[in-house]
Amino acid sequence: MISVEHITKRFNDTTAVDDLSFEVKPGVITGFLGPNGSGKSTTMRIILGLDRPTKGRALINGKSYHSLSAPLREVGALLEAKAVHPGRSARNHLLALAVSNGIPASRVDEVLNFVGLESVAKKRAGDFSLGMSQRLGIAGALLGDPPVLLFDEPVNGLDPEGIRWIREFFRKLADEGRTVLVSSHLMSEMAVTADQIIVIGRGKFITSGSVDDLTKNAAGTVIVRSTNNGELTKALANTSATVSEINDEGLRVSGLAAAAIGDLAFATGIALHELTPERASLEEVFMELTHDSVEYSQTAKEAN
Amino acid sequence: MTHTPGLYAVIRSEWIKFRSVRSTVIGTVIMFVLTIGIGLLIGFAVKGHLQSMTPVERATLDPIQLAMGGILFAQFAVGVIGALLITSEYTSTSIRTTLSAVPNRLRLVSAKAIVLALVIFIVGEIASFVAYFDGAAIFHGTIAALPSLSQGKTLQAVFLSGLYLTLMGLFGFGLGLILRQSAGSISTYTSLLLIIPILVFLLPSSWQNNITKFEPSVLGQAMRSTTGVLRGGTPVFGTWTATAILASYCVAAVGAGIILMSRRDA
Ligand SMILES: Nc1ncnc2c1ncn2[C@@H]1O[C@H](COP(=O)(O)OP(=O)(O)O)[C@@H](O)[C@H]1O
Ligand SMILES: [Mg+2]
Repeated sequence: MISVEHITKRFNDTTAVDDLSFEVKPGVITGFLGPNGSGKSTTMRIILGLDRPTKGRALINGKSYHSLSAPLREVGALLEAKAVHPGRSARNHLLALAVSNGIPASRVDEVLNFVGLESVAKKRAGDFSLGMSQRLGIAGALLGDPPVLLFDEPVNGLDPEGIRWIREFFRKLADEGRTVLVSSHLMSEMAVTADQIIVIGRGKFITSGSVDDLTKNAAGTVIVRSTNNGELTKALANTSATVSEINDEGLRVSGLAAAAIGDLAFATGIALHELTPERASLEEVFMELTHDSVEYSQTAKEAN
Repeated sequence: MTHTPGLYAVIRSEWIKFRSVRSTVIGTVIMFVLTIGIGLLIGFAVKGHLQSMTPVERATLDPIQLAMGGILFAQFAVGVIGALLITSEYTSTSIRTTLSAVPNRLRLVSAKAIVLALVIFIVGEIASFVAYFDGAAIFHGTIAALPSLSQGKTLQAVFLSGLYLTLMGLFGFGLGLILRQSAGSISTYTSLLLIIPILVFLLPSSWQNNITKFEPSVLGQAMRSTTGVLRGGTPVFGTWTATAILASYCVAAVGAGIILMSRRDA
């Protein structure tokens, strides 16, 4: 169980995390989703006691990270894959970590085998590819067999086989009753990986729930084809609808139900050739949810 | 897996890290070779000039300082080892991995300092005694013959040569903790040893003697001195006062580093 309680983190003028609160429960995979720069990594560093929050606190099973005497046995984390001294061998890197937390050296070989790095265990970590570094990071996270695990953008740098492997691995961890928090800026990734999703934008909590809940509550879109798409677009402009796409195929309309669009077309004298309500994809829900925050951060950057 | 790991576990971990990286191992070897090798070079070079020395030069000749001349070079190696011990963690961001395994900053820094100090102390003492015996052999039967270890302050001077290297390694470590960058820490360290004396030299001479004796390398010469004055007659602090002042620099630098580390984001 991870509890984030009203965390705010400011870096000079940037508010990276803004009064963020959420809980991560054991036994499920929790996706931590937000566009790039929305504060996911910062939040994870605060949970691990690396960054000091400006306000608020994060607890692991009710305790602050700093109070853990053997943290690797309680929390495993993969933040940046390359957070390893490049000149040290993979095995020595893991051995030093293990020894500092009273973990037996035999466990180092176990985790090296598990991630498939046993053959390169004596090689310098600096010569590893990103995928191998990710595996080394995962080995480090598993060293203490911890009940709580955090992974920051873990699929970056993995090949399709590695991605499948890591998804099954998260599933296994959750099935064993562990608390698993996985961040990503890709909704499509979270849709197939996570059970529960926490969405943030610009450091603020936006929503959370199961993958199903999130798509159910989202406004759907309607695909419309007609004899006169131009006229129909003009007519729709006077309503609450938003037309997001215009091409030969037709219009993609959101913010107005299919029936209302049909009535409007009839009233305007335009014949409809297609009127297809679409359930919003998770990706669209995400874009919609975080639209404001992304746009804001872009205009803010331009202003600077 | 039931006991709670403490400082000793972190010391063992830091020792594994120290010996498993090329830069620290090579740095330690360089420090050893410089202490002995430069001592030999100075020995052979000076031996040929002994007869042509002026009476003043002869009077202030401190053969122990000559034999320990390699320390003046090895002090740069230990500063670099000390600084890199921590700055390499920041430049590779492995400090985040380290701190997530050992969130107690005081414990982590203590473990690193203990490993660093022990390694430099052991290697530094061996190198210092080898340098002494080399010097004794080279100057045997000359006017610069080295006093035996049991005479006067000889043993103390040789012992404090190794301790000086240890303290300077810790000082470099403290600078690394504060600055977190390899290049910045190493250039600050070398500036303190090389540039400050030049700047002090530009000051009115009445100030010079008062400031010079506080410079780290001059404190080191005071620690190795068996005569109480440097060549040229510059007065220096007493041996143990100098040791205490240099140790206080280390405590200040490492202490400031620990406080900063506890306040700053990793
Ligand atoms: N150490 C730092 N110093 C200054 N700004 C930072 C620092 N770390 C992160 N930020 C800023 O905080 C915001 C959130 O960043 P981050 O947590 O990395 O987001 P994410 O992981 O979701 O992409 C960004 O605007 C980023 O530029
Ligand atoms: Mg990130």
